[in-house]
Parts: sequence; C-alpha cells; structure tokens
Amino acid sequence: MIEFDHMTRTYGPKLAVADLTLAIPRGELFALLGPNGAGKTTTIKILVGLLQPSRGAVRVCGFDLVRDPRNAHLHIGYVPDEPCLYDKLTGREFLWFIADMFGMPKHPAEQHIAKEIEHFELGEFVDDLAESYSLGMKQRLVFAAALLHNPDVLVLDEPMVGLDPRSVRIVKDLLKARTQDGMTVFMSTHTLAMAEEMADRVGIMVRGQLRFLGTIAELREQMALETMSLEQLYLQLTSSQSSPPPRDRPDGVS
Amino acid sequence: MSGQSLPRDAGRLLSPEAESRIFLRLRATIAWETLRSMLSSARLRLTLVILLSMMFWGSLYGLFVESLTFLDSLYTEVISFLFNAFFSSLMVMLVFSTGILVYSGMYSSPESRLLLTLPARSEAIFSHKFQEAIWFSSWGFVLLGSPMLVAYGVVREAPWTYFLLLLPFMLSFVVIPATLGSICCMAMVAWLPKLRLHALSIAVTVACIAALWLGWSAMAPGRTAQPSSAWLEETFSRLSVTEQKLFPSWWLSSGLIESARKGTPAESFASLLDALKFLALLIANGMLLQLLAAWLAGNSYRLGYSQLLGEVPRRRRRPISWFDRTLTHAGSAAGRPLRLLLVKDLRLFRRDVAQWSQFVIFFGLLGLYFLNLQSFYYNNIYASLIGFLNLAVVGLILSTFTTRFVFPMISLEGRRFWILGLLPVHRDQIVWSKFLFSFLGSLLPCCSLVLLSDLMLGIPLAVMLIHELCCVMLCLGLSGIAVGLGARMPDLRESSPSKLSSGFGGTLSLVLSATYIMVVVSVAAIPTHLFLAMHVLGSGTAGQGFLAWASGWQGTVASLVLVVTVGALATALPLRLGIKAFRKLEP
Repeated sequence: MIEFDHMTRTYGPKLAVADLTLAIPRGELFALLGPNGAGKTTTIKILVGLLQPSRGAVRVCGFDLVRDPRNAHLHIGYVPDEPCLYDKLTGREFLWFIADMFGMPKHPAEQHIAKEIEHFELGEFVDDLAESYSLGMKQRLVFAAALLHNPDVLVLDEPMVGLDPRSVRIVKDLLKARTQDGMTVFMSTHTLAMAEEMADRVGIMVRGQLRFLGTIAELREQMALETMSLEQLYLQLTSSQSSPPPRDRPDGVS
Repeated sequence: MSGQSLPRDAGRLLSPEAESRIFLRLRATIAWETLRSMLSSARLRLTLVILLSMMFWGSLYGLFVESLTFLDSLYTEVISFLFNAFFSSLMVMLVFSTGILVYSGMYSSPESRLLLTLPARSEAIFSHKFQEAIWFSSWGFVLLGSPMLVAYGVVREAPWTYFLLLLPFMLSFVVIPATLGSICCMAMVAWLPKLRLHALSIAVTVACIAALWLGWSAMAPGRTAQPSSAWLEETFSRLSVTEQKLFPSWWLSSGLIESARKGTPAESFASLLDALKFLALLIANGMLLQLLAAWLAGNSYRLGYSQLLGEVPRRRRRPISWFDRTLTHAGSAAGRPLRLLLVKDLRLFRRDVAQWSQFVIFFGLLGLYFLNLQSFYYNNIYASLIGFLNLAVVGLILSTFTTRFVFPMISLEGRRFWILGLLPVHRDQIVWSKFLFSFLGSLLPCCSLVLLSDLMLGIPLAVMLIHELCCVMLCLGLSGIAVGLGARMPDLRESSPSKLSSGFGGTLSLVLSATYIMVVVSVAAIPTHLFLAMHVLGSGTAGQGFLAWASGWQGTVASLVLVVTVGALATALPLRLGIKAFRKLEP
C-alpha cells in the first residue's frame, strides 16, 4: 500500500530523511516515533504530497506521489497536526466539499456523511460555522473528512492532539475497525503508550534515519533489555550517544 | 459507536468543469456566509463602508465631470493621454499586487495546504486562488476607474453601447496584468525560490523609480509655468511613453474612446466595430495568458510549494539594538517596567513586516505627494486651505493605523496575559505603555509630513506652528482613543488583529477618530483662514460681531485653546475609561 523507495529529503545542507526504504502492507497500522526534528513530519508531508523527495520515490497504491499525485491522493485520507477548515463553512458544508472533491456521487456521499457524523458524534455542532469550533471539535471533523471517501491509506500526524479522552477512544476503536477492513494507517506520534497499544509495527526515527523497524516485542527482544519499560527503551534508542541496534535490521529497512 | 466502514464505492477523478463548479460553489457559500455574518454582527461597519464608498464614488464622479469638461473643451486629445497614463500606471500596480496576493494565497495559506492534499488539479487550485487575488487587487480599480469612465461617457454624450461595454472592457483589461503577475510569481517560486525576494525587491525598486521619474517629469516646472493648454501639451508629451501600442492600457483607452465616439449612424457603427476589435484583442490576450498560467501552474505549482516548504530559514543573531538598550536603561528605576513594555512593543513592530511596510508605503506616498506640491502655484489663502486639508489627510491615515494596529494591541495580549499578569507591573502601566508607543511612534512621521507640506506650500511660519500644534494634538487624541477603547472593549480570545479592528470597538474607534480629526481641523482652520483673508491679503470686509472677532488674533488664540482642550479631552477620557476597565478585567 505504501512504499518508500530509497527516499531522501534534504533542507539545504541538512539531511532530513536519509535513504528511507520501507513498505507498509494493506491493513497495517504503522506508528512512526522519534524525537523532535527526527524527520517524522517531513516523511508525512512527502507521503501526502506536500513536499517532494530530493531523491527516490514514494508510492501509494502503486501511484507515485510526484508523477501522479491526483491518483495517489484519491487513495489517501490525511489528518494534519493542525486542522485546517474554512471558518465560514459549517461542518456539514465542509464534509460535502470534501466529498465533492473526491468525486463521490450524491447518494453514497450522503450516506457516508451521515455515518461519519454519527461515528465522530458531530451532530450537535455540525451545522454551526467552523469558526465557533474548539480544537477538539475541529480535529473530530477533520477525522470525519479524512475517512469520508473510505481511503485505502490514512495518514495521521499527531492525531490525538486536542482530543478529549472520549474522542481518543472513538478514534482508537475506529482505527482498529478500519485496519481490520483493510485500511492502512501511517501515524506519527509522540505518545509511546498509543503506539504500544495500537501499532502493528513501529518505526523509530532519529536524525532522519530509521533506527528501528518492527513490533514492540521485537524492539524489546532486539535490545535484549526485557526488563526495561518501553519509555526507557525509546529514550535509550533515541539518545544522541546511542549506536544503531546490535542485530541486523528486520525486513523492510535498508 | 460503530467502526464499520461503508463499501468503497466512492472516489474518482473529476473533470476540470466539475472542479470549477465545486470551487465556485465553495466561494459562493463562503461569500454568502461572510455577508450574513457582517449583516448580523457588523452592520454599522457595513453601512459606513457602503456610505463612504458611495460618497467617495460620487465625489470622484463630480470631480471627473468638471475636469473632463474643462479638458475636453481645451484640447480633446488630452483624454487619450490621460487614459493611457492612468491605465498604464494601474497595469503596473495590478501586476505587483496580484502577484503578491497569488503568492500569499497559493504558497503560504493554510487553505492551499488542505487543497494540495486533495485530488484536485493544480490548475484548478491556481484558478481558485487567482479569482480571489484578482478580486482583492482590482476592486480599487473599479472604484477609482468607474467614476472617471462614466463621467467621460456623460461629458462626451457617448452612445448607450459605451456604458454597456464599460464593464467588459474593465474586466478583460484587469485579467491581463493580474495573470502576468501570477505567472511571474509562480515562475519565481518554482525556479528562483532563493532569489524571489531579491527579484521582487529589484522589480519594485525599478517600478518605483520609473513611477517617480514619470511623475517628476510630468510635474516638474517646464518652460511654461502656469497651467494652460501649452503646459498641458508639454506635460503630456512627456508622458508619451505610456502610449505604446503594445500595451493593454493603450488597447483599453483606444477601445473606450472609440466606443464613446459620436457621429452619423454609419460613423457610430464603424467606431463601435473598432471598439469591439479592441475588446476582442483584450479578451484574446487575457485568455492566452490564462492558458499559459494554467499550464505553468500544472507544471510548477507542486514543485514550487515543495521548494518553499523545504526552505531553511536563515538563522540570524539579533543583537539588542542600541536604541532598545538606551531606552531600557534611561530614566528612573521606577519607570523601568514601562520602558521594558515599550521596548517589547517596539521589537514586535520592527519584526512585523506587515505593520511597518504599510506604515512606510502610506506615509511614503503621502510624502511623495507633498513633495510634488511645489509644482503648483498658490496664493496664501489656498496654500493655507491645502495645508489644513493635508493635515486632515495625515490625521485620517494615522487614524486608520491606530484603529488597525493600536486598537487591537491590548486584546492581542490576551493569550500572553498570564505573562503580564505574573510580572511585577501595575496594569495601568500596560495601558500607558501602549499609549506612549502609539503617541511617540506617530509624532515624528506625522509632524515631519505636515512640515514638509507647509514648506512645499510656502506657508507663513505662524500658520506652520498652528499646523504643528494641531498635528501633536491629533497624535495625542488618536492614540488616546485607540488605546482607551482597546482597553475598554478588549476581546482576549481573538488573535486576529484584522477581526478585532473590524469589530464594533474598532469601528467605533475609527468613527470617533474621524470625528475628532474633523473637529480639530475645522476649529483651527476657520479662524486662521479668516485671519489670513483679513490681515495678510487685506481682502474682504472686516464684518461685524462674531465674524470680526473670529478673524482677529483673539479668534485664532481662542481656536487654538479650543483645539488643545478638545485634544486633552479626546486623550484623557478614553484613556481613563480604558484604564478603569482594564484594572477590573478578568482574563
């Protein structure tokens, strides 16, 4: 579903993402972890077509994000870290705009909009102008918009920021159900507990390089430090003095 | 809640027509909602804007009818020069303004970040943002140009087809420079991303120098000093550079002149056909440029956006300026918190390009106009009158700045209120610091401009002193009104200064400021004018009673006392109200 093929991105002389090769199959929930400035947001921006790689390629459902961005976007739903809405549109008008942009026919669009309003409990405010929404309301609406066309790939950048515990639960349940249906989720997060609870695989990125790729269990095993908490493992792996993992990297990492 | 998804029966790429329809619907919905919320929450502002626009349009129309009647009777070909000079200047301005608006709309707005993650064609996003940019850049042209062109039609007793073709001519014209500006912007961002600021600076500098040269050569005194047909002929021969036949401005002015031509039915029909040819030329060129811009957007927009997003901001050490340091350490220890607040606001102002660039542009243009005043010849009465009008213009421009930037200052502290709240600073000092910042910051540029105007007009020293006193009172009063009302009616949750200034408080501040300016200028102008009429020129009759008293030195002194009293009230009352309310404010 998602393929990073020797993807490199530089900002002037600074290497933001270095030669990333990674394949994420259908139905997997992948969490990208890393400290600030590790290259997570750059990777996500390239995956949704906002940034172009300096070298290499990124494909979604076989469509190259640079050569064929429209077809690639047809398969992507994106929830950014800062929700962007039109202040002078109501939530429902925004959902209709997104449905129209994805070329959804009227009847299915109506069904999908009603369903997402119900999923994310938007009913109380969906007909108010977005300028009156709180951050949490905006984030829930953006989630609904991203899932409206039932994308093959859902990209989430720090998805739980601004959500209350109930909304977090709703999102978690929804992500589990959708991945079981075959949707691929690519998520960047700082919340280790969330990655531990939700992710099929995690990637840990440090200074543009993928230091680890595998399940949490593999991470513990690889570090041979089963007694450590996940937080301690993570801190050890991302500390500036740490060396790459002792064993060969698992499949999928170059 | 169920997490089950619906069947994947949706999602297909749209045709260009379908995309256009969706964007059109989006724009219409947003426009309708904006209008509705303005009607419900900013009715006063909307009414004021409409009334002032109508007044402005009507005044311009009257002025143009008079001027065009005079010019038409003097030398009919003058109109062609006038149109060419006007439209070619507008063309250059539209290239720059649309280019800048397209840049901010396509590359730095949150909306473009959303649209680029949707399966929309780059051409459709460009078209959507271009429509927005052309609307914002050309409404001024319609407001300025339409009274002139309607007046021209009325003066020349043009056939009805002239009025019918007016709008198509104007619209097809603005598309050309606006598209050119957009093309330059997209090309620069995609292929010269690092040089874009330098390229823009060079282009703006060249355009300003060209405008200055044109203005100077047109207005500089020549062999004929007094305005006459010979003077006009000389002036317009200097402007012949604007009459290039390859300029869209020439096509527009020629088309309009042809369509306004009168004669026998056969002659009128021939003129109409010529006008339609010029219109077709404008439309064809506009469409060609649109095709080129769409192609460029399709091939460069995503690349350009990525280039900009991936740009590394240059790290610059910002040493503490000597001025900040001196201001911080000058004076007593007790006044230090106030000075620190002043330094903080000064730094924010210096680093906010939007604020100081508008300040520089508006006051710079005013300075240019004042510099050109020397080209005309006045007697003392007119010079005094123009001097007071210039004083009012300086005040009005200052009032737009105090409303737009000073009024929201207290509200904008909203999210940082906890910082100020924890500091050992009395709340009064926060309000005083804003007032001093506004007053001291406006004093030097405003007084210098008024002095420049007076020097160019050759105004007597005594009147200059009166103007300067009025200017100081205007700076005091306008700062007092903006800061006082800002503290009296803060909205600590709003982070947008434009929304704050366009709300009720901002509108009230603007209206009070305009009234205050009118009062100060009228109170000072009338006795001074009468005094000059009586004592300097010795014209008129001394009159009896109040008129005689007002035209004497007693009248001038009384008017100045009144100006100072009104100024003190306009400063103290709003500030007192603001400080009292601010003391009780709960963030």
